Amino acid sequence: MAALPRRIIKETQRLMQEPVPGISAVPDDSNARYFHVIVTGPEDSPFEGGLFKLELFLPEDYPMSAPKVRFITKIYHPNIDRLGRICLDILKDKWSPALQIRTVLLSIQALLSAPNPDDPLANDVAELWKVNESEAIRNAKEWTRRYAMDN
Amino acid sequence: MEEMAASQENDSEMDCSDNEDCYDYNDYYNDEDSDVEHIDLLKIDPEYFEYKCLSEEEIERLLNETVEDLSNRLRISLSLAKVLLHSHYWNSNEVIVKYEENPQQTLISSRIDPPVPPRNIIFTPTHMTCPVCVTLHHVDRFFYLSCAHMFCKDCWTMHFEVQVNQGISTAISCMARDCVVLAPEDFVLKHLQHKTSIREKYQHFTFQDYVKSHPELRFCPGPNCSVIVHSNEIKAKRVVCDQCKTIFCFRCGCDYHAPTDCQVIKKWLTKCADDSETANYISAHTKDCPKCHICIEKNGGCNHMQCYNCKHDFCWMCLGDWKSHGSEYYECSRYRENPNIAHESVHAQAREALKKYLHYYERWENHSKSLKLEEQTLGKLRARINEKVMSGLGTWIDWQYLFTAANLLAKCRYTLQYTYPFAYYMDAGPRKELFEYQQAQLEAEIENLSWKIERAETTDRGDLENQMDIAEKRRTTLLKDFLDV
Ligand SMILES: [Zn+2]
Ligand SMILES: [Zn+2]
Ligand SMILES: [Zn+2]
Ligand SMILES: [Zn+2]
Ligand SMILES: [Zn+2]
Ligand SMILES: [Zn+2]
Repeated sequence: MAALPRRIIKETQRLMQEPVPGISAVPDDSNARYFHVIVTGPEDSPFEGGLFKLELFLPEDYPMSAPKVRFITKIYHPNIDRLGRICLDILKDKWSPALQIRTVLLSIQALLSAPNPDDPLANDVAELWKVNESEAIRNAKEWTRRYAMDN
Repeated sequence: MEEMAASQENDSEMDCSDNEDCYDYNDYYNDEDSDVEHIDLLKIDPEYFEYKCLSEEEIERLLNETVEDLSNRLRISLSLAKVLLHSHYWNSNEVIVKYEENPQQTLISSRIDPPVPPRNIIFTPTHMTCPVCVTLHHVDRFFYLSCAHMFCKDCWTMHFEVQVNQGISTAISCMARDCVVLAPEDFVLKHLQHKTSIREKYQHFTFQDYVKSHPELRFCPGPNCSVIVHSNEIKAKRVVCDQCKTIFCFRCGCDYHAPTDCQVIKKWLTKCADDSETANYISAHTKDCPKCHICIEKNGGCNHMQCYNCKHDFCWMCLGDWKSHGSEYYECSRYRENPNIAHESVHAQAREALKKYLHYYERWENHSKSLKLEEQTLGKLRARINEKVMSGLGTWIDWQYLFTAANLLAKCRYTLQYTYPFAYYMDAGPRKELFEYQQAQLEAEIENLSWKIERAETTDRGDLENQMDIAEKRRTTLLKDFLDV
């Protein structure tokens, strides 16, 4: 394996020294490109009180290519599908090498505060979110309680 | 002739006032003779189309000439001229008009310049940290586009390499977050100087993008064919590739589809794909004779069937008697809509809509099958003629007219097949009635021709040639009246 680029070392150091509030990202002991991430459900969102596990992987050509991020904890959200894949523009065509792990995680946190059912990945969830928002929010709270608490 | 030419010229001039297709009427005046000829040819043949099948090198030369010309006229680099042309579908005149009116805005909207001009760059330090690799470099190693976002040389190279490997070329932008400025060709190539294979890939992809954005160019859709077709007329006309003989529509690059237009055929094909399950039961190869009820298999393309048992002549599509069919073909091809359908229940309307679709789909599908069956007939015919020639019954040249007839039949049936989606989407009214009348006429003559070709050896040559003539006339008449491209 090639030596870890300076960019990754710098980013990791900063993530450890000044962590983003509500987010913890720790590199794996055996693979410095693989991060164990925990995002706290934002206040005043249906995910409040939950702790969501994610995995984040920096591909070989990072930062020219976007990191690969996935939710491991089940979550009821219109932009996150059953497999935990996230629909977020900066992880796709809006990726810029000037963005960082930190900015990606902040964007994911923001997505939990403000779901966007008009750009859906989980179609059934997005549909319910549009036609019956209160029921969708009830489901999201229920899933948070069931899958993202006490573990 | 003199007078005719003059009046046609006036007509065309009038058309030009509101017709965007007249963009090259400079050529028109310089090339008067050939244009009059062109109009005459169109009168005879509604499918007449002038085009050239060119190689990649020839197209490259053609594009480069356009680029050089624009670069000279606007006094900008070749690379920027390319970006401008690509973002304006290679319409030089439009670029020139826009640029002369407002150069700044043109450069911004073409993503050559950023929407907000960058602050002045003042290099005070001798060293800087590149925001991408977070490494301290000498300022000499930094490069930037018009937006002044600075990154080190190695990062630019890596950025371009990753983008090109993803198939992106003309759309590669600056590395800064939310920056829309595009990296022009010279900038990219400079950073890929030592990466030969990536450079080649990049140039291959940009060329593809240029051709695809150029409305006067179309890649031949034939498998492994590298021909690019060029025409000044951006129309849904028939192209036959010089190299691989693939026939396609110049405008959309799909199978040729006259008289139906590009949007309608796309809609129709999507509908057929979506409803393929509903329509599946239709593909019957056997039907019962309407008179003696014996099972008959269709093994030729002709829809004029004759029962081998009772010799009853009937139509494969509607099972009607063929004798009366000749004069009432109309009743077979057209769909009679229920005039009171608007007052019926939603359920009945849905059933009616499906019935209507299946009527057209069945005929579309049947002609497509007939085309394939007639191809097989042609194969058998070739074998039989070969035998005859071998046993001294005439030469290949003597029998050539049969192949000409078979080719003409294929051409006519192909057009007939594509009249069905056209009719399906047509609004009811006198124009549709005229269309259905002509469609029925064409249909009748095609089945007569097919019947005669299937019985080629016993058909009189003069009779066959006469039938060919009638069928082709019906086809051209229909296209003249309805091919609107
Ligand atoms: Zn760098
Ligand atoms: Zn920039
Ligand atoms: Zn070809
Ligand atoms: Zn077309
Ligand atoms: Zn019979
Ligand atoms: Zn019929």
